Amino acid sequence: MNIQQQVPRNALVWIFICLFALVAPHAARLPVWVLVVYVIAFVWRLQVHRGRWSFPGSWVKVAMTFSASLGIYLSYGTLIGLEPTVALLLTAFALKLIELSQRKDAYVLLFLGYFICVTEFLFSQDILITLLSVVNVTLVTTALVALHQPGEHQFNRGTIKLASTMLLQAVPLMLVVFFVFPRFGPLWTVPIKSHTAKTGMSDHMKPGDVASLSQSGDVAFRVKFEGEIPPKSELYWRGLVFSRLRQDVWSGLGFYEVPLSERRPSEVSTSGNPLSYSIIMEPTQQNWLYGLHYARSNSPGVMQSSDFRLFSPGPLESENMYSVNSWLSASADESLSDWRRKAETKLPPLGNLKTRELARELRSGVSSDEEFVDAILARFNVEPYVYTLRPGALSGDNQIDQFLFQSQRGFCEHFASAFVFMMRSAGVPARVVAGYQGGEINPVNKTVIVHQFDAHAWAEVWIEGKGWVRVDPTGAVSPDRIEWGLEEAMQAEGSFLAAAPLSALRFRNVPLLNMLRLRYDAITYRWQSWVVGFDRERQFDLLQRFFGGVSTQIFATILLGSWVLVLVPVAISLFRKKDTHPVSRWDKQYLIFCGRMAKLGLVRAPGETPGQFAQRAVAALPVYAKELEQITRQYNAIAYTKVDGSGGSMGEALGRFTRAVNRFKPARRRGVIDETVSS
Amino acid sequence: MQLQGVIDSAVKEVGGILLGKEPQIRLALCCLFARGHLLIEDLPGMGKTTLSHALAAVLGLSWKRVQFTSDLLPADILGVSVYDAKDGSFSFHPGPIFTQLLLADEINRTTPRTQSALLEAMAEGQVTVEGETRSLPAPFFVIATQNPVSQSGTYPLPESQLDRFLMRLELGYPHPRAEREMFERRHSGALAINNPQQRITLEQLEIIRTAVSKVHASENLLDYLQRLVAFTRQSPEFEVGLSPRGALALLDCAKTWAAMHNRTHVVPEDVQMVLPAVASHRLVPSGDYAGDGNALVDLLQRKVDVIGS
Repeated sequence: MNIQQQVPRNALVWIFICLFALVAPHAARLPVWVLVVYVIAFVWRLQVHRGRWSFPGSWVKVAMTFSASLGIYLSYGTLIGLEPTVALLLTAFALKLIELSQRKDAYVLLFLGYFICVTEFLFSQDILITLLSVVNVTLVTTALVALHQPGEHQFNRGTIKLASTMLLQAVPLMLVVFFVFPRFGPLWTVPIKSHTAKTGMSDHMKPGDVASLSQSGDVAFRVKFEGEIPPKSELYWRGLVFSRLRQDVWSGLGFYEVPLSERRPSEVSTSGNPLSYSIIMEPTQQNWLYGLHYARSNSPGVMQSSDFRLFSPGPLESENMYSVNSWLSASADESLSDWRRKAETKLPPLGNLKTRELARELRSGVSSDEEFVDAILARFNVEPYVYTLRPGALSGDNQIDQFLFQSQRGFCEHFASAFVFMMRSAGVPARVVAGYQGGEINPVNKTVIVHQFDAHAWAEVWIEGKGWVRVDPTGAVSPDRIEWGLEEAMQAEGSFLAAAPLSALRFRNVPLLNMLRLRYDAITYRWQSWVVGFDRERQFDLLQRFFGGVSTQIFATILLGSWVLVLVPVAISLFRKKDTHPVSRWDKQYLIFCGRMAKLGLVRAPGETPGQFAQRAVAALPVYAKELEQITRQYNAIAYTKVDGSGGSMGEALGRFTRAVNRFKPARRRGVIDETVSS
Repeated sequence: MQLQGVIDSAVKEVGGILLGKEPQIRLALCCLFARGHLLIEDLPGMGKTTLSHALAAVLGLSWKRVQFTSDLLPADILGVSVYDAKDGSFSFHPGPIFTQLLLADEINRTTPRTQSALLEAMAEGQVTVEGETRSLPAPFFVIATQNPVSQSGTYPLPESQLDRFLMRLELGYPHPRAEREMFERRHSGALAINNPQQRITLEQLEIIRTAVSKVHASENLLDYLQRLVAFTRQSPEFEVGLSPRGALALLDCAKTWAAMHNRTHVVPEDVQMVLPAVASHRLVPSGDYAGDGNALVDLLQRKVDVIGS
């Protein structure tokens, strides 16, 4: 093989490093056999390099390609979708290594490597993943640089230095492109992550759902308030409204299940200053958003449903940022339509008879719906109900009866569900609301971090004249939960995050760890709000602010202008690089002097020393003998004699020399020159 | 300054024998002041040996002369141990190299073996004979003469050995006026028996050397020096450029030249003055370049800009 086409050993080692670095962030998502393929590919290529094995024949390659595709199909059940496609790409990447014999193969492999770096972002845009990608890009670039260093027969760590320098030089352009380059809408849609679990609240709720969600220490969303953060007991993040009970499962009304006339939320009169805040949600693969009480949002892609929920038209596949205004005292749905009254009082025809009986009994004992609410809450408070993460399973029919009269152990959804059931039994419109309650205030950047374990369910009751009023039966059982959060409430039981013994949240009492966790969270917030949240709208805002408008011309001008701004200095510095150092000031002055002499026809030859040139010049222009000798003497003194360290005398000498050169403006006396030259 | 006077009188003393060769005499002195060995190359009968003798006499050094021939052996120069029958032991009989100034006449007439024995001693200032290392006296100079390489019966010195000579001088034919004077002196009988007197003592030599070490080479000058050196390594006319040793030699000689002319700093003229003597024997023209080392030096002088731009 042509030696030009060989892959240098240094490059090969860097390619090996790239191979494993690139697959590392994907490893947890891939079937194990793909990782085995990576090891086989590495060993095979290494043995080829050592001359022990040979490159695979074409039939072997075909067989490997087919079996890899088949393996992906068997592992995922399909070849379409994000995970199978990425897995296929990664497997192909490993297989390509085995047949890497020439430089052009290495190019293909490395360019594919850049592409693989990008695929990580389809799954997560976390700051750590981004940092890892920077490392990976550096590694791939290093391998690319190594490929251009023929004759490197040893592994050379210095290559990464060169690659890093090159990437650092690209940073200004990267920033410009990030801020200025037009962000097109998706040209094609990425296949849905069919294999990624939906996280957070689901669209229906049965007893035990919220309790199991509360086992997770993951972050659900982060909130930044514009003003003061309200007390925790006010932080009821509404996400889902469950109006329908069917076989012990609460679910919301679908968009098309609501009659046309009811689909738009009714007008809500708002007064006073709203509570303004912005929320960055972690991806959930679901489409509901969260807000406090009555919430409105101007952010694009945030809609409001007839039960005053916020939702996004599409599932949240990546971090999503939106800003919200909430009016905590506004009353929603002051009058209730017949359809809605019917929907919000509807119960299954059968079951839970004891509960219905109890509700009717309690209602008849009081004069108003509000007193009825208080009566039930008082019952929850007085009777020995236990708020627990381990309520024990309920089974069969009449689950609410079981909970209320037998087990009396429940998590928030049990209480909310029983409460709403009793309300509806007495004909009072009520519904279950699910979302999160409370949150952790990060003192570093004053954000509220809402974790999955803050998941909560409560109730809303419609009261004549007040609209929908929030009632939290859990508060009657365990006030600690509302005031202090789940961890305090579960302290006696010790069940907080019992399933995640290593979660950083469990070490909140270690000050250093807690501080690190909160700092990291603050960085994540910043990252999400500045980088991940920098979408088309924000870009438009930014450009609008700085350039007063957005047009194609402005885009093009900024883009080209900044490229020129970056590239021209680089070009100039490269152009001037042949000089070991810049021309000194005295040399500059002397060259000015030489330029003036050249105009008179006396050009200094390159090899002519100042002294020799002066001799020649004096011979040609005896009129200027004095000036010529003075300038030459001064130049020689500055350029060649030892100057004492004071610097002052140097500056003075340079000043005198500069003045002498400036004063020296020889007139063009052709006669004089011609005469002397000819003689 | 008296230094100048001492040097001038030495030059005059030598010039009294070798007529009309003042620049070469000054360069030869410069070479010795810079602790370098001198190679004088020219056709037979141009005054090479005369110059060497005169320099030795003017410096007042003990000197010995070896005429190199094709059958000369290393031991003939370095010395040999001889069995002494009286005490029944070997005693070392030092060769002519144990002197302050060695005149190696027609060095390229002898075999490479003997040449290298001499050159080794020049480089190290000591000789090793029969396993015993003996120091040479200080100062130790070698003034070698050689015929042009094209002459028959010569063993040309390789580049690596030429490099050990700080300077190579060519004397050339005398100026007609000087030649005329030479004729007249011979006629009057004044030339042949003119023995030059010592003009520079060892102490004065040390003073000169101290002065040299104090000469300042400015940034501008070092830039020029670097441009010169870089040019020899980049231009296509050069097969072999100046080695770092060559570059250092150039700087040393320029400093010495400046000190000899009573200056405490080097100017480009100093470099240009010593350049032919220092560089011409170290430069090798590339195959398709017609000129020799001297032409290359001329090229350097003309092409390399004294002032950076």
